[in-house]
Amino acid sequence: MKMTTTKTNPTHVRRSAIRWPGLAAFLIICALLAAFSWLLLDTIIKWTLERSVGTLNGAEVNIESVDHSWSPLGVTITGIQVTDPAQPDFNRLVIRDVTADLNVEQLLMGRFHFENVVSTGIRVHQPRAATGDVYQVPDKEAMKGWASDGLAALNLSMPNVDDIVARLELKTPAAIEQAKATLAEQKSRIDEVRGNIPTAEDLKAYEAELKKITSAEIKTPQQLQAKKEEFEALKEKFEADRAQLKAIKETATTALDKVKAEFAAVSSAPGQDMERAQELMQLNSAGLTEITAVLFGEQMRQWSQYILLAYEQLAPMLARSADETLVKPQRGEGIWFDFSDANEPPSFLIKKAKTEFAWNETILDVNWANITHQHEQLGQPTTFVARADNSNLWQSLNLNGELALTAAGIDAKQQWQVKGIRLDSVQLSEQSEFMANIVAALLDSEGAVSLRDSMFDGGGTVRLSDMQLDASAENRWAEVIASALRQLSRLDINADISGALTAPEFAFRSDLDRQLGSALQASALEAGKTELADLRSQLQEQSNGFLGANEGDLNGISELLSNAEQRDAKLQELLKAKFESAIEDKLKDRLKGVIGGN
Amino acid sequence: MLTLLAKFLKALNSESGAWALAFAFVLGMMMGFTPLWRVHNLVILLIALLFRINLTGFILSFVICSGVAYLLDPWFHQVGFYLLAHESWQPLWQSLYQSAFWRVLQFQHSLTLGSVLISLAFAPILLFASFFIIMQYRKRIQAWFNRLKLVQMLKANRFWAIYSGIRG
Repeated sequence: MKMTTTKTNPTHVRRSAIRWPGLAAFLIICALLAAFSWLLLDTIIKWTLERSVGTLNGAEVNIESVDHSWSPLGVTITGIQVTDPAQPDFNRLVIRDVTADLNVEQLLMGRFHFENVVSTGIRVHQPRAATGDVYQVPDKEAMKGWASDGLAALNLSMPNVDDIVARLELKTPAAIEQAKATLAEQKSRIDEVRGNIPTAEDLKAYEAELKKITSAEIKTPQQLQAKKEEFEALKEKFEADRAQLKAIKETATTALDKVKAEFAAVSSAPGQDMERAQELMQLNSAGLTEITAVLFGEQMRQWSQYILLAYEQLAPMLARSADETLVKPQRGEGIWFDFSDANEPPSFLIKKAKTEFAWNETILDVNWANITHQHEQLGQPTTFVARADNSNLWQSLNLNGELALTAAGIDAKQQWQVKGIRLDSVQLSEQSEFMANIVAALLDSEGAVSLRDSMFDGGGTVRLSDMQLDASAENRWAEVIASALRQLSRLDINADISGALTAPEFAFRSDLDRQLGSALQASALEAGKTELADLRSQLQEQSNGFLGANEGDLNGISELLSNAEQRDAKLQELLKAKFESAIEDKLKDRLKGVIGGN
Repeated sequence: MLTLLAKFLKALNSESGAWALAFAFVLGMMMGFTPLWRVHNLVILLIALLFRINLTGFILSFVICSGVAYLLDPWFHQVGFYLLAHESWQPLWQSLYQSAFWRVLQFQHSLTLGSVLISLAFAPILLFASFFIIMQYRKRIQAWFNRLKLVQMLKANRFWAIYSGIRG
């Protein structure tokens, strides 16, 4: 079969560059997009809020549902859960619902100004059904771990005397060893010089010789000269002996001083050892002098979350809104910058907001004004006021403060007075060896805290009265604490707040610290009484044994010194009192006779 | 997807203008790289539909570049963040921020700015590179490619049936 091909010249018709049906397709696509957005607006808002607030929060944010209304333009958000980035098993904030009216005029100018926001059913630190995703871990891990470490650090075991002795490095045996060495050395030196001391016989011979010289008949100058020479020879002997005696006295004095000092050290060492042992026993319980912080710290820190709610929850999010460098965006999210002019209205503003915090059935309304991250543009701080009297939980509560983001950081101040909070079954410690809980108490608190350049400064007092504490312990040591707590009926706790906004530091102190500290120290000493007494007698025995055994040596040195002194005195006496005066008298008499004979 | 690929090959092998295909790649790339819900993407869509640009190439480029964009997002963000945060650029951004037009374009978003600028910078390269590749393909590779035994075998399967069923 033969195939035939027809060669045709292609006719090139130049088509228009514009594809008009494409315009129609574009319009249809736009219409579909608009319809799609309209129908799914609530879902889009929900998704956008979850992503953007989640980015600011640094952890997952869940919203149950969103409803919008066109006239007036507003939105109602239900079931907001804000994961705590530091504890993703908990929500830092749960809000039952939020309603907000949006200013249309400002919205057209690209600004989000909410006229009135009402949020109800706010709770803090609520457990999550599932662990939330964390996008950016906050720098406050250390602070979170503090309170729970407190009880673990609390040494609930009695200080042990054997451990104490092992750590003590006892002074008594060391002092004895030192004294032995010194004594041996000094005895050796004494022995070296002991043979040089003139004996009693030597002194008697000197005395006889001197008597012989002084009582001899001197008739001629030659005799006088001879006697004088004898006297000079004898005098040289005396001087030599005195020099020996002087050296002996010096050696003996030094030896006596040194040995006495060592003996004194040995004598006092047991006392010093016992003092140190007692100190160490007390030091072992020194950690318990911060019992207020350990026992009440965690609970008070949880309460502080409510007091510092504005700072801990709102301020970091506002700060992150204001500073793009603080935000780590999620994948594919990016960051929105704000370049609004200083004289321009803020791009985000909630003029008024009412937040309704819930504790079981008790509701606390907090009224806010001017929530924004652009306070310098607005010229006013964010303010909040909470006042509620005669509720189920308290008699009166008054909390107010303000907060502003500045170029240097967050500036804020706040003060509170709360009276008559009824506490009921508040767990303080759940350790197996030590259980403590407040069965009932009445709590009053007041204080003020300020935040300058994002650093906390301030404090308050917490007064617990009509208090019933239940405490039990497994060992005697912890029982001291339990017993002290059971007897408490009132307690004033001073709380200091300092540190950075992201990691506030709390210091708690009360009279309980001092009372319990003394009780624990006394208890520690009491418990170690027998062992300490044994230690004391053992040390005393060692000390006394050494001193008794070596007392003779000390006396020997002392006796040697005494002998040397006596003999030196005798020589001195012979040299000065008898010899010189006798010679002089004789010479004088002789001279008188010679002169009178002429 | 097979249909889309077949359509693309058809366009590649057809008489569609090489520039029409190259522009399609560029527009698809820009739409794929930048965040979808932005006004500039409406403009890109309008250009792609209104002008005689190969829609298959546009869609394919958009799909591929959307996937690649996921990998490049951190880079886009970094570039945008750097420019928006840079001190010397602040006067420009502040003046643009005062304009509703630029606000609508959402230039103040780090990812948007970064991806748009990088896409614009890459656009001429992609345009000329794709034009060159298409021309080379048509001149040198197409005939050789069709003679390959593998291609002959492929022509016997379902994909070829789809390909053949499509009107160029």
